[in-house]
Amino acid sequence: VIVRVLRRLAWSVLVVWAVVTVTFVLDAVVPGDPARMAAGPQASAADVARIKQTMGLDRAAPVRYALFWKRLVHLGPSAPRRDPDDPHSTCAVVLPLGPASVHIDLGKSFQMRQPVVDVVAARVGRTLALACVALLAQLAMGLLAGTLAAARKGSWLDRAIVTGSLLGLSAPTFLIALGLQYVAAYRLRWLPLDGFGRTPVEHARCIVLPALTLGIYGAAYYTRIVRDEVAGLLTAPWVRTARAKGASEAGALVIHALRNGLVPVATLAGLDFGSLLGGAIVTESVFRWPGLGELSVRATLNRDGPVLAACVIVTSVAVVAANLLADVVYAWLDPRVSSRRGPDTR
Amino acid sequence: MPSIRARASGALVVAGACAAVALSCSDRLAAPIQRATSADGAPAPGGTLHLASLADIRSLDPAGPVDEIAAEAMELLFAGLVELDDGANVVPGLAEAWSIADDGRIYRFTLRHGVVMHDGSELTSDDVVRSVERALDPVTPNPNAGYFADLDHVVADGPYAVVFRLKTADATFLARLAMPPLRPTCKSAGRRYSDVWDPCGAGPFKLAPGGWTRGTALRLVRHDRYFRAGLPHLDAVEWSYNVPALAQRFRFEGGELDCVRDLPQASLTRFLEDPRWAAYGEPERDSAIFGEAMNTRLPPFDNVEVRRAVAAAIDRSHYRLLQPALMTPLAQALPPGVPGYDPTFAGQRYDYAAALAHMRRAGLAYDPATGTGGWPHPVDYLLYDEGAVPYTAQILQQELAKIGIRLRLQQVSYSAFLSMRTDPRRPGMSFGSWSMDYDDPSSFFDPLFASPGATETNGSSFYANPHLDDLLARARASLDPATRARLYGEANAIVCDDAPWAFTFLRHFYDLHQPYVHGLAPHPVLGRDVGRVWLDREGAP
Repeated sequence: VIVRVLRRLAWSVLVVWAVVTVTFVLDAVVPGDPARMAAGPQASAADVARIKQTMGLDRAAPVRYALFWKRLVHLGPSAPRRDPDDPHSTCAVVLPLGPASVHIDLGKSFQMRQPVVDVVAARVGRTLALACVALLAQLAMGLLAGTLAAARKGSWLDRAIVTGSLLGLSAPTFLIALGLQYVAAYRLRWLPLDGFGRTPVEHARCIVLPALTLGIYGAAYYTRIVRDEVAGLLTAPWVRTARAKGASEAGALVIHALRNGLVPVATLAGLDFGSLLGGAIVTESVFRWPGLGELSVRATLNRDGPVLAACVIVTSVAVVAANLLADVVYAWLDPRVSSRRGPDTR
Repeated sequence: MPSIRARASGALVVAGACAAVALSCSDRLAAPIQRATSADGAPAPGGTLHLASLADIRSLDPAGPVDEIAAEAMELLFAGLVELDDGANVVPGLAEAWSIADDGRIYRFTLRHGVVMHDGSELTSDDVVRSVERALDPVTPNPNAGYFADLDHVVADGPYAVVFRLKTADATFLARLAMPPLRPTCKSAGRRYSDVWDPCGAGPFKLAPGGWTRGTALRLVRHDRYFRAGLPHLDAVEWSYNVPALAQRFRFEGGELDCVRDLPQASLTRFLEDPRWAAYGEPERDSAIFGEAMNTRLPPFDNVEVRRAVAAAIDRSHYRLLQPALMTPLAQALPPGVPGYDPTFAGQRYDYAAALAHMRRAGLAYDPATGTGGWPHPVDYLLYDEGAVPYTAQILQQELAKIGIRLRLQQVSYSAFLSMRTDPRRPGMSFGSWSMDYDDPSSFFDPLFASPGATETNGSSFYANPHLDDLLARARASLDPATRARLYGEANAIVCDDAPWAFTFLRHFYDLHQPYVHGLAPHPVLGRDVGRVWLDREGAP
């Protein structure tokens, strides 16, 4: 298992490098001037040129690319200061080892003029919280609806659930978001329209609608998958045997059918979790949830290269890590997976 | 097979859900939230004003990248030596008086005594000098430094006097000084710009502890020792940023926002048509001009007759149909209210016959009956996807097709637009817009049509006219208002005739507020001035 994990980690580094390199190249070749975006549309050419120099954009793209990797992980003091004169002012310490502490440095945001590590660190937790709540909502709704539909296959309930899931799959996220905002926040005034709030209670109230938006959208997938899986498994020989040996209908459904039906769900949930960690771009923007998705959009529109590169790194690491986690869960749910050997185990 | 009863219950559930949604979706505007008192009385102290914006602010440092949205907050955080009154006239601020010497090259300001800054220290001339030098330091990312390129040096003359010496006389200096960049900052700002400084000045409000959550919200609280007695009335002002237009409407109706200016077009129309809201809205002054910039270095627009044809071919009333409540046709280089604007000047008018005649004189005669003639190649038109821009581009495309100029629309991102419009090799034509930075005609003419501004970047027309340059230089240096008005009138006529831009429309914001908001006034430069606002909301503590 350890060798497998290490192999996956090595691949992960390669994936992150490739994705960041592609981002860097695209950022360099796509028309647009980050200095002009930072200076604003009415700044004079002389002011833009001066700002370009202060941002280090007067250097050639390959030089900036080399500097980025050189700076990304390096050694430095244990407590860098946010002082412009400190060469480590934009660093975050990830491994405190005294004067040879391990630093991560993602540079400074062109637009916000803050160390990117600070910008991203402030948002990772919020995106993580939204991803967790949304995934829980997706799984809870999907598993419940899918299992119910499978248990009552062919009934009006089954048809209603299938129709509902079809609607959930077809409706774009922004439409679900606007619908929820209109009904739950604007008309009924049960929940805040958007934002993040200041206190834990406000955070909890603010997260409901975005999580529900993502939950409805994702639950539709899980409903369809769970329904088909469980309905098929309910006719499997071992479930018939369990029933013959006296297992209740609920026991046969949950213990014998649903558990086996969870294997593909775990894989999908792992992939979904990775995507959600990268930031739910539309949902975060509509609900003004200040997470990584919203940050990526703004960084792209504003040509804020350092922030965009950081978002790409976090997203790719999250996807790779979530895949790894899904593999582990998959093996736990289906022990046959870990006992297999050969290329199909990768 | 499900029973009839089961089917019926299912149908009932669905019907009930639909009815609930339909009932909750009746789209009638909420009624205005009434004020506590029936008539306007003396300003009541206290309360928090809630505002929102579609976009975000990037900096709260006057020497940093201050954009249009941040300017509203900057006005409250930082007081200037001179400020603008409701009519955009320069009035004393931190300086109680000033004198001008050496034919407009020397400005001497006398500071008020006892002005207390947000950190509790008293403002002195050293603070003014330090703040100016910090803002104009080459390493400071100040995008407005160019406005003060003519400033030679600034020195303290005792603790309460400051002298600015300019390289050349500049009649616009006071108006420029009223902009945020050179406003005095607290000693904590230091002599060198730093990104980690917490804004601190001498304005009527100060930053609340932890009051700025980037990308989300800003909260300013009252500066109790503000130098203007009796102000401000409010306890606090709060902005929410990155709020979509529809969400702003929802929050405004619910009383979470007290004022709103970014409503979706459909919602604004409904507010304007609703008699209950009629008394609580007001258009801001037109301070931004829009037009079609023609690249004077590329054919066919290197021929002045073609540019004149374009200016005459555009029926500006068609643009206005897009947003009748917010747009006004524009026929000259200045918006109304700016010194130099002449309401009797015809400027660029729609005249189809004249447009065809100009095309003939350019050797590109076009026959509308057969659709033959005109410029034989498509012309690239650069635009970005925001607001009404894609729609005005399509109107232009249709207007110019009638004189034989075929536009090929190149829609790009805003960042790409800003970059591509500065390349004189492309495009032939682009969308043009300019917002007034200070209340003076030079705020439009210098960056858009005078060299080197026009030839470098901002005009997008790469227009150069030595005669106009000379005229504008003289207008800028003259301290006589009558002479300036005459010179800018001449400049206006030249620009309209030479037509590096075909001026098209003005666009303003429309401010809506709840009835309990008092003292909110449209401002010629700031858009809206919230510095004197007070609230008397019914049921407010």
